[in-house]
Amino acid sequence: MKLLESLYNIDDINNYADGYIVGVQDLSVNYKNYTLDDLKKIDELCLKNDKELFVSLNKNMHNKDLAFLKEVLLLLDDLHIKGIIYYDIAIVNMHNSLCLKTPLVWGQEHFTTNYQTMNFWYQYGSKYSLVSAEVTLDEIIEISKKAKTELIVPIFGYISMFVSKRHLVKNYLKTFSLADNSDINYMTKEGNVYPIIDNKDGVIVYSSHILNGLRELFVLKNAGISYVYLNSFKIDNMNEIIKLYKEAKEDNCLQLENKINNMLEGNTDKGFLYKETVYKVK
Amino acid sequence: MVVHELLAPAGDLERLKVAIMYGADAVYIGGPSLGLRANTSNFTIDEIKEGVAFAHKYNKKVHVTVNISLHNKELEGLLDYLKELEKCKVDAIIVSDPTVMELALNNTNLDVHVSTQASTLNIEAVKFFEKLGVKRIVLGRETTKEEIEEIIKNTNVDIECFIHGAMCAGYSGRCVLSNFLTARDANRGGCSQICRWDFSLLDSSKKELKGEKEFTFCTKDLSMLKYIPDMIDMGISSFKIEGRMRSIYYIATIVGTYRKVIDKYLSDKEHYKYDEKLEKILTNCANRDSIPQFFDGNYDETVQYYNGRVEVSNQDFLGLVIDYRDGMVILEQRNYFKPGDVVQIFGPNMDTINFEIPDIYDEDDNLLDAARHPRQIIKFKLNEKVEPYAMMRIKR
Repeated sequence: MKLLESLYNIDDINNYADGYIVGVQDLSVNYKNYTLDDLKKIDELCLKNDKELFVSLNKNMHNKDLAFLKEVLLLLDDLHIKGIIYYDIAIVNMHNSLCLKTPLVWGQEHFTTNYQTMNFWYQYGSKYSLVSAEVTLDEIIEISKKAKTELIVPIFGYISMFVSKRHLVKNYLKTFSLADNSDINYMTKEGNVYPIIDNKDGVIVYSSHILNGLRELFVLKNAGISYVYLNSFKIDNMNEIIKLYKEAKEDNCLQLENKINNMLEGNTDKGFLYKETVYKVK
Repeated sequence: MVVHELLAPAGDLERLKVAIMYGADAVYIGGPSLGLRANTSNFTIDEIKEGVAFAHKYNKKVHVTVNISLHNKELEGLLDYLKELEKCKVDAIIVSDPTVMELALNNTNLDVHVSTQASTLNIEAVKFFEKLGVKRIVLGRETTKEEIEEIIKNTNVDIECFIHGAMCAGYSGRCVLSNFLTARDANRGGCSQICRWDFSLLDSSKKELKGEKEFTFCTKDLSMLKYIPDMIDMGISSFKIEGRMRSIYYIATIVGTYRKVIDKYLSDKEHYKYDEKLEKILTNCANRDSIPQFFDGNYDETVQYYNGRVEVSNQDFLGLVIDYRDGMVILEQRNYFKPGDVVQIFGPNMDTINFEIPDIYDEDDNLLDAARHPRQIIKFKLNEKVEPYAMMRIKR
């Protein structure tokens, strides 16, 4: 089982991760977005350091994005990309019409919740699925048995909860004439603090707690999961955390998990790994 | 030739009938499972059959939402459920998960409509679903007029757009605030509308940024009344009203108003004039500011709604006409009224009647000083004949 990390610093390419996920300027959300020149450099460095590279083009695409999207898809097909993570179905259609060889990763963040739909997208070039962070560990195990796609399971980091085209922070600041140039804001409710970013594409909100599933690594490994994903967004000591994940063994995982929890001042949880959401309130 | 369907929400059989009587060409409803409004009344299979029979009698259609994002356990029995809907003779299902699309297309005769939950916003995505064999796509609500025009021009599938009602603050399907804050699954019908909650906003050093009102994601509602002629001319196939949890009064008012505008424009495009009185009727009914949202490309601070969760319950709706016998209106009370109040009765296929409430009586012909009790049967004299399903409201 390989460890994938969202790459926020090109200098980290030689760290303990087995591979990286990067975004592309104007086409991605929730990742560090790089220019095409940066992307070529990252591709070279990954190749040189024997690291795998996934590129996430996971923005909701509008018509105006399609020409650039086509250019980027064609470029990626000439690089050494392991997989293209997509949210918008436009990418599936273009992947087919352009006869691209780079595999796709079905990554519709909150929709990737069952094996049969993974098998649907497998027919359309999705070799991998990036599993939703809102499914339980038991559901992941069942998916791993029945899905034809290889799985990438989020195991560490802040989780994206909300994406909007609207500039919700800027609109508030403007309405009430508040001055602020923060590159990141926070919203709070009942003691929980949620990172919120308002950039040119709109707004993204993240979970208040950091998912830390180090203890579950071995359950996932035994289930035959191909990749786990660690999101390094707003994590200061990420290289050390990756190292601990890499060094973890079944007999020391609890100790290492606690160590990471302490490093993150206890702001960690298990997300939905053991918590089933409900939808019918009786 | 494009048919411009007026598509109304219906949370139950009564609302389905009201929507159709007031001019909807089709209604969309939730079945016993797998719809995105798990906590509204929804329809049983028998009620779906009855609703479809009622709609088909008037040559109208029924679409059923099967638009949750499936987890493993919801795969069980899915095909049986779709076949059950087919047996009920529903006209279409509204779907976001491709597993449901594929099963329905390969195993039933149901038309498949791609839900707005799929956030389809561009030509390429529409082409994918078109090749899959879907009949219609409900576009994401973030599309502008120009984008919709480009999509219609470059594809061959029916396009449906929302015209009225509440808006999601985020891209549909990309919001799981409800999952994280309340453990209720937004993409399986449990949305607890966190976008309407108040929060404190902090800067990067975690110092509070405090305006006169609290920070919220809440946006104004959508209203496209003014743009209906544009939308007709663009070739949009279906105009969708949001709100399966809304009242019969809301449905009657909104459906009736849009029906008038669509018919008026289609009957004489050259001399059509926008009627601001109709806009006022919509405003009075909803009690919230409404705007065209993304259609005109504007989503700046003016689209936000910072008035908290205060949504005054609408007291305009006074009663539902049950019958008219011997010159007497028989009405089921919904809000307080008394003799002397100036009111109006509106309804399908009738001109609005304005009048002052005369003496009123209960079911046993006792004279009353006021109609105080919800659902109480009230009788009063009126010279003009009115039909069942007409409604009485305060005249504003």
